[in-house]
Amino acid sequence: MGLEQALVVSALKKTYTKGTIDIPVLRGVDMHVAEGEFVSITGRSGSGKSTLLNLIGGLDTATSGSIVVHGRELTGMSRTELAVHRRRTVGMVFQSFNLIQSRTALENITLALAFGGHPRPTRRQRAGELLSSVGLGHRLDHTPGELSGGEAQRVAIARALANAPGILLADEPTGNLDSRTSCEIIELLRQLNRKQGITVIMVTHEEDAARSVSHRVLRLLDGVLLGEASGEVSE
Amino acid sequence: MTFRDLSSLSLENLWRTKLRTSLTVLGVMIGIGALVSMVSFGSGIQHNIAREFRELDLFTTIQVLPSELNLEDPLSMDLDAMREASPLDDEVLELIRALPGVMLAYPEISFPALVKLGDAETKTSIRAVPSELGQRKPFSEISFGRFFESDDETSIVVTERLLDDLGIRLTDGAAPSRRARDDTTRQLTMVASGDVIGRTVTIVTSVLDENVLTRAISRTLMPTGRAPFREETVTLDIVGIQSGSMGFSGLGVGGRALIPSGTAERIPRLSFSSIWDLLDSRDGEQEYDSIHVKVGEMGELEAVGDAIEEMGFGTITLADYLDEMKRTFLLMDALLGAVGTVALFVAGLGIVNTMVTSILERTREIGVMKAIGGSESEVRWIFFIEAAIIGSLGGVLGLGLGWAVTRVANVAANAYIRPYGVAPADFFHMPIWLILGAIGFSVVVSLLAGIYPAGRAARVDPVKALRHD
Ligand SMILES: Nc1ncnc2c1ncn2[C@@H]1O[C@H](COP(=O)(O)OP(=O)(O)OP(=O)(O)O)[C@@H](O)[C@H]1O
Ligand SMILES: [Mg+2]
Repeated sequence: MGLEQALVVSALKKTYTKGTIDIPVLRGVDMHVAEGEFVSITGRSGSGKSTLLNLIGGLDTATSGSIVVHGRELTGMSRTELAVHRRRTVGMVFQSFNLIQSRTALENITLALAFGGHPRPTRRQRAGELLSSVGLGHRLDHTPGELSGGEAQRVAIARALANAPGILLADEPTGNLDSRTSCEIIELLRQLNRKQGITVIMVTHEEDAARSVSHRVLRLLDGVLLGEASGEVSE
Repeated sequence: MTFRDLSSLSLENLWRTKLRTSLTVLGVMIGIGALVSMVSFGSGIQHNIAREFRELDLFTTIQVLPSELNLEDPLSMDLDAMREASPLDDEVLELIRALPGVMLAYPEISFPALVKLGDAETKTSIRAVPSELGQRKPFSEISFGRFFESDDETSIVVTERLLDDLGIRLTDGAAPSRRARDDTTRQLTMVASGDVIGRTVTIVTSVLDENVLTRAISRTLMPTGRAPFREETVTLDIVGIQSGSMGFSGLGVGGRALIPSGTAERIPRLSFSSIWDLLDSRDGEQEYDSIHVKVGEMGELEAVGDAIEEMGFGTITLADYLDEMKRTFLLMDALLGAVGTVALFVAGLGIVNTMVTSILERTREIGVMKAIGGSESEVRWIFFIEAAIIGSLGGVLGLGLGWAVTRVANVAANAYIRPYGVAPADFFHMPIWLILGAIGFSVVVSLLAGIYPAGRAARVDPVKALRHD
């Protein structure tokens, strides 16, 4: 675990406004994640976990505060700069996989490579390697509809890694999976973290699993991040 | 993402919804097809008339009349003044010939005659023209043989229609008219054109028998009186045959047979073109109904026309009609174009509809593309290119459809006019500007149609699009 900060979030606020009603979701979040760290975030449903992850991922913009990823300030970036951030710096994994149904596993990944500016001729080869690395080398030409939940999530993880981001943001990656498959996915993330040094920030409801794999488990409550309780890290 | 990546994504998307895409393309295709065939019809009519005017050498022709004509309001013309006007005689003809820019000036001379060839005979109208006209269209277009080489040749150029009237059908001539074809009672002899050239025709003309006329006037009520005419006979050699088919505009060489002007002067005859001739001819001086003037170039037309009008004569030139015709054509083109444009506009709405539907269906996919790094402009381009592909595909196919429609319509139209002895013509004209314009127009319409959907796709909020169900 390096000493470099992969992510520094300070006084981050996010308020949704619906008509005249303000819904403050994040009320001042402070957070530091070191390079190569595995951090889990837990919290009740509706506590703003996804909101926080989307802000870090550059899908959403903060109301105030600052998010610095790899030394670059996100708040104040133009939408185009945010798109570049999403394609290069972070990779995102979602509870509902969010694969494009009409494209095969391989094509889902080549699309990400295309957005990342990867040269066309080697895209398929690179996508194949990525799928092999998540244990799906034999299911390249299957569409998401033909894959199980666990397999689909592996494709989604491979896609998130396509443009070699330093940080993987996983929003309840095991939320739609049975406990056995969940363990496999968590194990895959652990390996990516430990073997490839990818920084992982994972939102999860499964505190036990989180504790077993993460360096730290953070808790989001009433719009602020609580107690940087350290996880039972097993290297 | 490269342009190639963006367009292959667009193509994939279109391919995925094949049915919807093809229906939308069909809409554009019909719109462009309608536009192209309509405009090509308008353009074809203009093209044909312009071509024919060129062929008939009308762009360099002035017709001189005894007095000013008011074409817009013929009723306002003062008939007395017209009669008083200075006559078109040989003196005037020489003055006109002396004008700078005038290449050729000749009087309009045509007269009725009985034409005999072998045992056959027919009444027809013969036109006398100078031999120089043989250099100019449409007189230069001799189907067989030649035009006259001098004004004094005792020769005649006949039309196929005249031969037809004489019961002769050329084995190598143009298609017969319906009138001739329907007339099954007549015996037609099939003859090769070579056998007609060189044969001798006899022309019988009527002249006023003044002795009889004087008596006739004194005994008007006597039905048994001899007609105040006697007959004159001349023989001429056939040197050339013209197809004599009527052109697209119904204009042609005029008359069914042409003879050299010098020869015509030596044929005693009664002109039937004007009743005034009958009464005035006794003062000896020959007067013409009109004089035809040919100038070298179209640009000289106006100056020569003005000079003739200053001499106190009326002129008719194509330029007089051209502006009016252009206005009419413009209106026709605008109307035809408007019909096609409406069709294309509807097709444009079809594109908008298809694109919006597809964006609603693909909201989540757009969210995914943004989450994995797609920028707003990339998403915009993907949908913009989709619209452009629909448009240009529809444009190219519509052009093909329009072309096919004009070909079929042309065959039908020609089949319809052929029996009237009108030469076959292409009623539709597809100039390069129409081809490029149609494709350009379809692309422009589809891009306009793509602006709103593409913008809407670009603005999709990924957070909302990706929120799990
Ligand atoms: N666009 C929005 N407009 C208004 N309120 C919103 C919007 N998006 C999210 N919220 C609210 O923000 C709060 C946090 O939502 P968020 O999705 O971040 O919760 P979460 O912690 O991820 O919950 P879960 O565990 O169920 O995924 C919720 O109360 C939600 O209703
Ligand atoms: Mg959530």
